Amino acid sequence: MTASPRRLLGLLVFGVLAGGWLYAAHALWRTSVPSNLKLPHVDVSSLVSASELHRAQHFSFILDLFGIGGLLLPLLVLALYAKWGHRFIGESAAGPIGTGMLLAMLGLAILWIAMLPSNIAELWWLRRYGIEKAGYTDLIISTWFVLGAEFLGICLTILIVMGFARLLKDRWWLAGAPVFVGIMLLVTFVQPYMSGLVPLRGHTTLAQSEKRLAAKEGVGNIPLKVQNVADQTSAPNAEAMGLGPSRRIALWDTILDGRFSEPQLEFVVAHELGHQKHNDLWKGIGWYALFAFPIAYLIARITRRRGGMAAPLAVPLFLFVWFAFPTATLPIDNAFSRRLEANADWAALQATRDPKAGQALFENFVRTTNEDPNPPLWDQILFGNHPTDEQRLAMVKAWQQRNGG
Amino acid sequence: MNEHPVTLHVMDDLRRSRLTVFFRGLLVLPHFIWLALWSVVLYVVVALNWLVALIIGRPAKPFQRFIAAWLRYVTTVFAYLFLIANPFPGFTGEPGSYPIELEVPTTPEKQNRFKTFFRILLVYPALIVGAVLFYATYFVTILAWWAAMITGRMPRGFRDLGANAIRYLMQVYAFYFLITGTYPCSSPYVGISLGAPVVEEASAKKAPAKK
Repeated sequence: MTASPRRLLGLLVFGVLAGGWLYAAHALWRTSVPSNLKLPHVDVSSLVSASELHRAQHFSFILDLFGIGGLLLPLLVLALYAKWGHRFIGESAAGPIGTGMLLAMLGLAILWIAMLPSNIAELWWLRRYGIEKAGYTDLIISTWFVLGAEFLGICLTILIVMGFARLLKDRWWLAGAPVFVGIMLLVTFVQPYMSGLVPLRGHTTLAQSEKRLAAKEGVGNIPLKVQNVADQTSAPNAEAMGLGPSRRIALWDTILDGRFSEPQLEFVVAHELGHQKHNDLWKGIGWYALFAFPIAYLIARITRRRGGMAAPLAVPLFLFVWFAFPTATLPIDNAFSRRLEANADWAALQATRDPKAGQALFENFVRTTNEDPNPPLWDQILFGNHPTDEQRLAMVKAWQQRNGG
Repeated sequence: MNEHPVTLHVMDDLRRSRLTVFFRGLLVLPHFIWLALWSVVLYVVVALNWLVALIIGRPAKPFQRFIAAWLRYVTTVFAYLFLIANPFPGFTGEPGSYPIELEVPTTPEKQNRFKTFFRILLVYPALIVGAVLFYATYFVTILAWWAAMITGRMPRGFRDLGANAIRYLMQVYAFYFLITGTYPCSSPYVGISLGAPVVEEASAKKAPAKK
């Protein structure tokens, strides 16, 4: 008799939460790109020679295979670790949380060993096409240091999850998810200070253009900085970073090496300012928060079969689902990212009103990045966090058709 | 003779996990972070303890317990880093939780105020010896790492050398932080008890001469 009203109340709460979730997702999904915008056909084969196109397709295809391996291999390794990882409990003299930390670190250590051959092979492929410049020893050393950082990250995660699980039992996710969102906020805020950004020198016109565009976009004063990566890669890139007072536009020094003209660089800067104008970094955190709660809840449910997250026995399984869920949501995350990037492209066109610069920039990307300008759909779903070069060129054309220029 | 208020008990079986040995330098990172945070508070406590010892002639009991826990914890972290023990240590410095355990007096003893006042100067010679032993242990650990990776065991000589270095260093810290007024002893036979030790074997060899 009492179960029915409780169930009804539960359903009602679930309905309200689900409605709120969908509303928030819809709000984050919206962009300023006109909804009725039709992208015209662009023939990318006319931009590069047939042999260059073939080379780009071949390069991208093999890179995608490495990408698929990079998604599946960790899942396989961590699934095996979820089954047998508890055997390492004997290697710990620490309490439950310390033992949980050790199990989590050992899982990542085994993953590092398993991934090393694939990482070396991928580096060989990138070096072959002149995209990466780092040596094999550099790769091992840098991934070793990254592993150290990952160890600290996973220990903090285990401390939060197991700490709350020991206090709140299976409801740890209610406290854990907001803490993870808070950490995400903090990381986004401090990222510009940790990225080794240096002042932009020798590009006075570009610096002036950035100030003009920032004023036009109404985003206030956002410093334009340079990130030195030329000793590791030749890939051109730029990034919008930070929140509030830590906001920065970071141009990789590879994009400033003379391959891109001043108007093209202005377009890049306008694109990044577009991200800042539309609060895309905040949206990214919002998107993360949207998934953090249900994923944390599901992890709590799944790890219950190993005694819940208060026990170190559940940590190997936790590690598996911790990796599996982001992999499962990768297509939707990529779709969200593509929308933000398309929005920033549109903002750049609106701000610069220079479609010729946009067109030249994206054509230049086809030549300099060696990536397939029109990859297959599965590639976009799994790895495409930006629109394809073909789609970006089509957007420029669509803007031109609407606005001229 | 095995008497010093600060004694290291070694109950390690020399077995080593190759996986944890390979990644030992990284696995110890969370402990370094925790140790750094703990040490910030420690230095405040040590300064206060020094003032208390100067005024009342002995350290305060809560400070003594706090510093003793820190010493036990540091012992386990160094033991893990230098491959002197196999298991991952805990974060609390709780007694009876690790195969390499430091016995530290938790009840404050009366100490000479003159020695207390000049403690920072008195400790210098011992600190220098401790630093030499510490860096020697770093070098030995590199050799021991290879040995443990190949055989899955820690060579006893390397283990005992490292254990003695840690024991001496902890006696230095204990003296420095006013846990004891007894000066560190550089003899490898004092202040250490080994489960199945080389040092005991050495003592046993000496023993017949006494008969």
